[in-house]
Amino acid sequence: MKLVIDHVSKQYGSKVWALRNFSLELGPGVVGLLGPNGAGKSTLMSILATITRATEGSVVWNGTNIANNPDALRFVLGYLPQDFGVYPNLNPVEFLEYLAAVKGLDAAASRRRIDELLNLVNLTEARKRPLGGFSGGMKQRVGIAQALLNDPELLIVDEPTAGLDPEERVRFRNLLSDLSGERIVILSTHIVSDIEATATDIVLISKGALVAHASPEELLRQVEGKVWEWVVPSAEMNAAKQKYLISSTMRRSDGVHVRVLATEAPEGAQPVIASLEDAYLYQLANHRAEGTA
Amino acid sequence: MKNAHVLYHMVKADLLERVRRYGYLLTLLFTLFMAYGVYTGQLAYQFEGHRGVYNSAWLGCEMALVTTVFLTLFGFYVVKNTIQRDRETRVGQILASTPMSKSFYTVAKALSNFAVLTTMILVLALAALAMQLLHAENRHIYLWLLLSPIMAFGLTALAVTAALAVLFETLPGLRSGLGNVVYFFIWISLLIAGARPLDQNRPVTTGRYFADFSGIVSISSQMQAIVRHLDPQYNGGVALGVAFNADRLSAKRFLWTGLAWNPAMVLSRLMWLMIAAAIALLASLFFDRFDPARGWQFAMRKTKAQSPIENFEAAVNLPEQVVLPAHLTPLVHTSSGHKLRFIHLVRSELRLMLKGLRWWYLVAAGLLIAEFVAPLAAAHGSVLVAAWIWPILIWSQMGSRENRYATRSLIFSSPHALYRQLPAVWTAGIVVALATGSGVGIRLLLTGNLHAFAGWLVAAAFIPSLAIACGVWSGNSKLFEAIYTVWWYIGPLNHLPALDFMGTTPASDHTPVYLFLTMGLLAASLFGRRVRLAYA
Repeated sequence: MKLVIDHVSKQYGSKVWALRNFSLELGPGVVGLLGPNGAGKSTLMSILATITRATEGSVVWNGTNIANNPDALRFVLGYLPQDFGVYPNLNPVEFLEYLAAVKGLDAAASRRRIDELLNLVNLTEARKRPLGGFSGGMKQRVGIAQALLNDPELLIVDEPTAGLDPEERVRFRNLLSDLSGERIVILSTHIVSDIEATATDIVLISKGALVAHASPEELLRQVEGKVWEWVVPSAEMNAAKQKYLISSTMRRSDGVHVRVLATEAPEGAQPVIASLEDAYLYQLANHRAEGTA
Repeated sequence: MKNAHVLYHMVKADLLERVRRYGYLLTLLFTLFMAYGVYTGQLAYQFEGHRGVYNSAWLGCEMALVTTVFLTLFGFYVVKNTIQRDRETRVGQILASTPMSKSFYTVAKALSNFAVLTTMILVLALAALAMQLLHAENRHIYLWLLLSPIMAFGLTALAVTAALAVLFETLPGLRSGLGNVVYFFIWISLLIAGARPLDQNRPVTTGRYFADFSGIVSISSQMQAIVRHLDPQYNGGVALGVAFNADRLSAKRFLWTGLAWNPAMVLSRLMWLMIAAAIALLASLFFDRFDPARGWQFAMRKTKAQSPIENFEAAVNLPEQVVLPAHLTPLVHTSSGHKLRFIHLVRSELRLMLKGLRWWYLVAAGLLIAEFVAPLAAAHGSVLVAAWIWPILIWSQMGSRENRYATRSLIFSSPHALYRQLPAVWTAGIVVALATGSGVGIRLLLTGNLHAFAGWLVAAAFIPSLAIACGVWSGNSKLFEAIYTVWWYIGPLNHLPALDFMGTTPASDHTPVYLFLTMGLLAASLFGRRVRLAYA
């Protein structure tokens, strides 16, 4: 099972490049796709989901170029877009039955699958209610269920936890981990904690380009010994911001507790254990610096 | 002063948002196409073979009537989406949280509609100017004579259209496709009621000016007097419409020097403006101020009746700390073939089409019974005509549902999105036509009237083909609702043989033409969907 993204670029209009020369090779596991707003994550997802055609480059699924045979991927694809709608007069069962039919699943096989999925996303009680009355979080759970309908080998989820309450978020993270065995899961988000909990691999993307592709451990190793906690008087915060890359701040009675990313420790700063968020900021800052230089 | 400032910015933002959309360009192109129709004589204004010399006065009046008769229909469908857009973009919720009153909002929206329609009038006015120069029958430009009828009749009629569009958007029953159909009947009633004095060959009374929504009585009655004077054979006929075989340039010409305005004419136009303002204000009474609960109050009432639990979301969440491990039975693909899956998909599409309809079935069943029990001539005539307008809102969703409900990415990332899903929708549409018209079909077959049966069968395929082509290409349901209603009204209902796709008019025998059209529309639908998909 292999997904190869080979020098893919996507241009909108005549000037805007959402993706530029993007290459990646993925095998089974959960890949967390991280990047700032407008980095090109959703465009990449859309290309992988056969919704958008790349301007340049190719996407190859198990040796088949999806430009030549998109159905080779579509039969095994589960896709949860960032924005999607539902048919308000249908209930979740009817909606999922409809999508199962569109995906070409057998009626009998899909029926049992739908029951299990509704149970999994905690909507069994709501199975008879029209979707038009659902909250945003409940619709999102229906979206998660539809993405799993065909037991996908490639599962693409774009901001899947948006609108979910904390408990449902935990449930979804567990679900992704449980499902990740023999399939490729691409999880796009800007919530680092979602990736921290589930991803076996992390892809960092910025301004349409690949910044890094590594395991979380490897990314953490790169920032090890470069994260410091430093107490700064409020009056000196602006100067600190200009001098250092700051990953977080917290006001306390003794001043502002600042988490700093730096090769050399600021005066009086204590080393702390690096988090994935630190690693993410470090990589992005390095990428920006390289771009400027 | 502050209100005027807010109003200006609301109308400006709304106008800019609309005119920067691709659809607006198409609207302007259609307006130019109408103007071109006038230029070539395909869209003709005539008095039994007489027409005016192409001077500023004549072209001003002709364009005014083209505006009030045609643009009031077409323009309604163009602008009836301003509140819907605020709803879809969620901008409405931001506006609803401001101190702005409901009446202010609906008036601003009516003005914004009016501004869009005004740009279309300006296109027609410029076209009239160009036409006068191109025809070169009279090169003297008199701006007052050219523009005053367009502005006085066109703008006031379009103000009513603009306000009605807002009113329809605020009324839950008329917000959807039903409103598009209802408007057609309001429009045709306004035109017919207003134009009645022209048939009666009598002088126009003051009161009649006030009923003259389109201005056709005000303008034509004065022209009739000239033609009567020139041609004693003239019987008072006035025609404004599509003339397929018009040899307009060879029509007998008379010199029209402009409208003689009278107080009743001026006051009647002011009255229509006031009616427009009143409609815009009336709309505020029904405007829900983007309260999402009001849209779904019915569904929620139903939910409460089924379950006493107030907080539904909380009720379906499991207690804290209980997080079930994910367990899914691996999907076993059975050996059911492509045909079976296609039938399964058609069944699903049918369910999607018919879900949520309540009273619809009762009326459809009543019409079906009438098809069986009425005399065959009546069943094949008026009953079938009624039976095949009734599902218009079901057909109009075809090809555009994915757009309307934002399910494109879910559907279009599925296998065979082009060659399986779209044909399944088309087939489901045909099933609806066959089912609702089955009484006539069965009787034609039993009586051995195979020729009429073939026509019936082709019509059952033609309607959904037209629907799906309109849906795919326009991305909304309005195009089909407008085209089909007009076509149905002129062809099957008013028995114009060439447009009678149902074959209910004895003189109509266009089955091969409609079969060809059906195939063309299906091909156009597949092509339209193909260009919208990244991959077939």
